[in-house]
Amino acid sequence: MNSRVIFSLVFVGLGLIIAATPSNTTKAYKLTAEELLEEAYSRNQYISPDEVADLLINKDPAFLLIDVRDQDEYEKYSLPNSINIPLTNLLAEEWEAYLDQDIRLNVFYSNGSLKANEAWMITRQLGYENNYVLEGGLNYWAETIMNPEKPSSTSPNEEFAKYDFRKGASMALGGGALVGSAGGNKPSAKPKIASRPKKKRAAGGC
Amino acid sequence: MGPLVINEIISANTNLLIAFLIGIGFGFVLESSGFSSSRKLAGVFYGYDTVVLKVFFTAAITAMIGLLFMSLFGWIDLDLIYINPTYVPSAIAGGAIMGAGFIFGGFCPGTSFCSAAIGKIDAIVFIGGLFIGILIFAEGYSLWEGFYKAGFKGIPKLSESLGLTDGLLAFGVIIAAIGMFYVGEWAEKKFPREEY
Repeated sequence: MNSRVIFSLVFVGLGLIIAATPSNTTKAYKLTAEELLEEAYSRNQYISPDEVADLLINKDPAFLLIDVRDQDEYEKYSLPNSINIPLTNLLAEEWEAYLDQDIRLNVFYSNGSLKANEAWMITRQLGYENNYVLEGGLNYWAETIMNPEKPSSTSPNEEFAKYDFRKGASMALGGGALVGSAGGNKPSAKPKIASRPKKKRAAGGC
Repeated sequence: MGPLVINEIISANTNLLIAFLIGIGFGFVLESSGFSSSRKLAGVFYGYDTVVLKVFFTAAITAMIGLLFMSLFGWIDLDLIYINPTYVPSAIAGGAIMGAGFIFGGFCPGTSFCSAAIGKIDAIVFIGGLFIGILIFAEGYSLWEGFYKAGFKGIPKLSESLGLTDGLLAFGVIIAAIGMFYVGEWAEKKFPREEY
């Protein structure tokens, strides 16, 4: 047979195989236990309360808070715009689309960080990305954002900027009393919120 | 596993080394398939020689099938592969300029360097023109910056806009390529040229 015909048939055959394969099998793979351990130890899954407050105040649409505590706890108190996925229901089918996606940044929170970490670990083990954990949970949130501690007068300016930001955030998010820092109404610079570096695509071209 | 650099399996320097080796292979294939003759490239537009079309389309469908199968086997994460972002007006203008240069000069950027390497004077002149073009673009950047960045469409994929799976679109492209090869060979017979 003519070699052109053979090549054409090979390509058509391979094309047929790839056309008949469901594309969702090409999804990312799961992590091994070692990889998961390494990730957990790198603490990269944590997002600080300041970052979360900044995202909340800016009403970032690509950001979702997920409360993994029980429903009654969620009803008693929860962060603004958060949804409730109790840890026991984490694997329910209705939540899969929320957890396995690559558009939004999900942040799990619980009272401490234990339950949120469990949720993160389970979803990470499944190979899901973009799920993070609120560092220190609601307890630390209350300490830093809702009732920020005033820095001592000898503290560096960044401390005051951070304090002002937290005070402002606390007001915006419905917490503690309103007292300005260090006297004077001078608006101080907003502390820099380090944004999470995204994985870059491989650069290339012709 | 892949892409190797992104997942830090190989370093950026190793990546350059691999690119260097692939580049040598690419140049070798270009030269040995006769791409360093500008008449061969111009032949696509006149129909007497469609080797360029066949070689590049074969390369494209080979790479396409390879990537899709590697993704299927979990060897590469296609989400991390670089795709040029689409800017509609600059894509049209750039395509027209490139196409005109292709017909006038008989080279594309890659083949011009390939044939300059074997000492062809027309290729060296072509490269000179290429640098003049780069200079004009860079120096006058403020003049066409607005046009250059207009019509940003992100990175749309043909399969997504048609609502097909990647595999199905790949199959369609293969069929189209084979049809094009057939038409190309027909044209070669229809518009033969004795010597070029």
